[in-house]
Amino acid sequence: MASVWTLQFRSLSLRPCSFSSGTSNNSIITTRNRIVIRNGISKWRSRTQQLKHDSINSISKFYHQLVNSVTIPSFLLNRSGGNNFPIWVCVALVVLVGALRVVSRKKERPGSVADLVRRGQLKSDRRGISRPLKYEDPFNNPFVKVGKSNSTVEMCGKVYRLAPVTLTEEQQATHQRRRSRAYQWKRPTIFLREGDSVPPDVDPDTVRWIPANHPFATTATDLDEDLAQNNVYQKHGVPFRIQAEHEALQKKLEALQNDQKLNKLVIDPINAKEFERPFNSQARLNEQAESTVNNQEQKINKLVIDPISAKEFERPFNSHARLNDQAEKSSVNNQVSDSDSPNIDSDPNHFESKSSEDPTL
Amino acid sequence: MPPLHILPGATLFPNPLLRHPSKTLIPKPRPPSALLQWNRKPELSGTTPRVTVITSGKGGVGKTTTTANIGLSLARFGFSVVAIDADVGLRNLDLLLGLENRVNYTVIEVLNGDCRLDQALVRDKRWSNFELLCISKPRSKLPLGFGGKALTWLVDALKARPGGSPDFILIDCPAGIDAGFITAITPANEAVLITTPDITSLRDADRVTGLLECDGIRDIKMVVNRVRTDMIKGEDMMSVLDVQEMLGLPLLGVIPEDSEVIRSTNRGYPLVLNKPPTLAGLAFEQAAWRLVEQDSMQAVVVEEQPKRGFFSFFGGINLQYCLWLWKCFCCNACP
Repeated sequence: MASVWTLQFRSLSLRPCSFSSGTSNNSIITTRNRIVIRNGISKWRSRTQQLKHDSINSISKFYHQLVNSVTIPSFLLNRSGGNNFPIWVCVALVVLVGALRVVSRKKERPGSVADLVRRGQLKSDRRGISRPLKYEDPFNNPFVKVGKSNSTVEMCGKVYRLAPVTLTEEQQATHQRRRSRAYQWKRPTIFLREGDSVPPDVDPDTVRWIPANHPFATTATDLDEDLAQNNVYQKHGVPFRIQAEHEALQKKLEALQNDQKLNKLVIDPINAKEFERPFNSQARLNEQAESTVNNQEQKINKLVIDPISAKEFERPFNSHARLNDQAEKSSVNNQVSDSDSPNIDSDPNHFESKSSEDPTL
Repeated sequence: MPPLHILPGATLFPNPLLRHPSKTLIPKPRPPSALLQWNRKPELSGTTPRVTVITSGKGGVGKTTTTANIGLSLARFGFSVVAIDADVGLRNLDLLLGLENRVNYTVIEVLNGDCRLDQALVRDKRWSNFELLCISKPRSKLPLGFGGKALTWLVDALKARPGGSPDFILIDCPAGIDAGFITAITPANEAVLITTPDITSLRDADRVTGLLECDGIRDIKMVVNRVRTDMIKGEDMMSVLDVQEMLGLPLLGVIPEDSEVIRSTNRGYPLVLNKPPTLAGLAFEQAAWRLVEQDSMQAVVVEEQPKRGFFSFFGGINLQYCLWLWKCFCCNACP
């Protein structure tokens, strides 16, 4: 078809030379050109119509020939006979194969690594699930073969000539002597940044001067050497820094709990009553809180007089004791706000020390 | 041509080229049963862990590639390996091994106490007896003067590991001879010097060898990388034997130039795991074998031998000449 179309377009000759040559009789030429184009278009139309007819005829002929040539199996023609056994066998087979495929797919969990590899979304060799390579001898395998005379070796299909290594131990020793003469070097034991002063008890030959912008040249090492060594040697348990951070966070949390506002919220019975709920258990809790607050106020009065009993304020471990502690402190704070007493820092240890150390209290 | 052996453990035949065979680098005699045996394994010699630094002096000669490939070859041979990337600012070993997404902790975090050493070791899933340890993350800094000591502590900690000491600790050394180099060579007992057959690399290699020897590392072997036999044949490149003559070091391996190296680097899949194996991959495996056995090469590949085909009896007549002859026979124009 494509060739036919190209032929059609080639037959449309527009005579381009006439466009370029006409200068004087422009109008005559343009009318001539129009006539030529119209004639060409009409010819082209008639030819396309003819082509359309021809193609339709040829297709219909081909269809008739195809229908006549294909022989329909006898069991399809003799449907009235009722011998449809082969058809049913085929249908049953197709159903069986489909069912088997569904079952086999269900075995591979969708989204599993094996499934992703099967679907081509993962490379099996990059994910550690490929079978390991069978161990091979690199000197004797199908890709490496030494020739019979040991003067050649065949590697990856190419034959290479071999030459013996002629280096003797004498030559090696000579080279070592040469190098020892040429390169006098002492391993640097101290690294100093450029601009630092050399310590008095240090051999200047063992100093390595590092530029300030070198990756090694960090300005300060906040890490103790012994501590770093211990960290490297640690085999079990929580790493040092993680543990330290955890403890610091815990301290911070406790400090937050000791904060004035928080204590007011927890302890103040008037505020607590506003949030009271009709549940009995809650009411009991409030009652308990009230009673503890009253008791602790008395205790704190004692504490203010007696600084030795400040030890009782040491950090308790169970939550109930913690509540008591908070209640005590809140009451103390209330008192403190009334009287001119030292400011309470967020650190609970700081508060304790203040209370214990201040002789005026 | 005298008989030559590239197989490790093979004893040399009397060689007319070598007048004093006792003075040559003849490896220890081994039972012949190990020779030419399918699926044999290399015999580990020396005390474990073998702490080996892979260094060169010049950059871009293939230190990291060699570390990755030899490390994984050793793991394939069944030895437990820890590869330490001692390049502080510019680490790349994780990329070559395809483990870049799994490096969460480095030695810096271990020193700081953010993690334990066993948490910083990245185990390769392909070969579980291969582990990677990076010194630092890119753009991070190591405390001044901590490097050498830190590596020594690391090696000691690895030796005293509950799971057992590794057989090999490979340290990928950074280029140059400054603080990174000093750090990397501190805990090493032996060194593998990587060089290419060009004069710039050779000068640096000689200097580095001198520094290593001054530091007390005497067991130094050489790997000549990116060798092109066609250029050697055309006398455009120094041969491996020339390199050896200049440096005077025993040869651990000769790695031919192979485009597959770049491909494998980009894929994060070392050459030695390729199926089918490539020329460079095979050479790396052979080098790893020699490293295990503390052996060195007895024969080197010089050039590719011309193939012997149907027209070889013409004695070097090329194919065009043969075709011309054939045309002459067929042509009826001539009387």
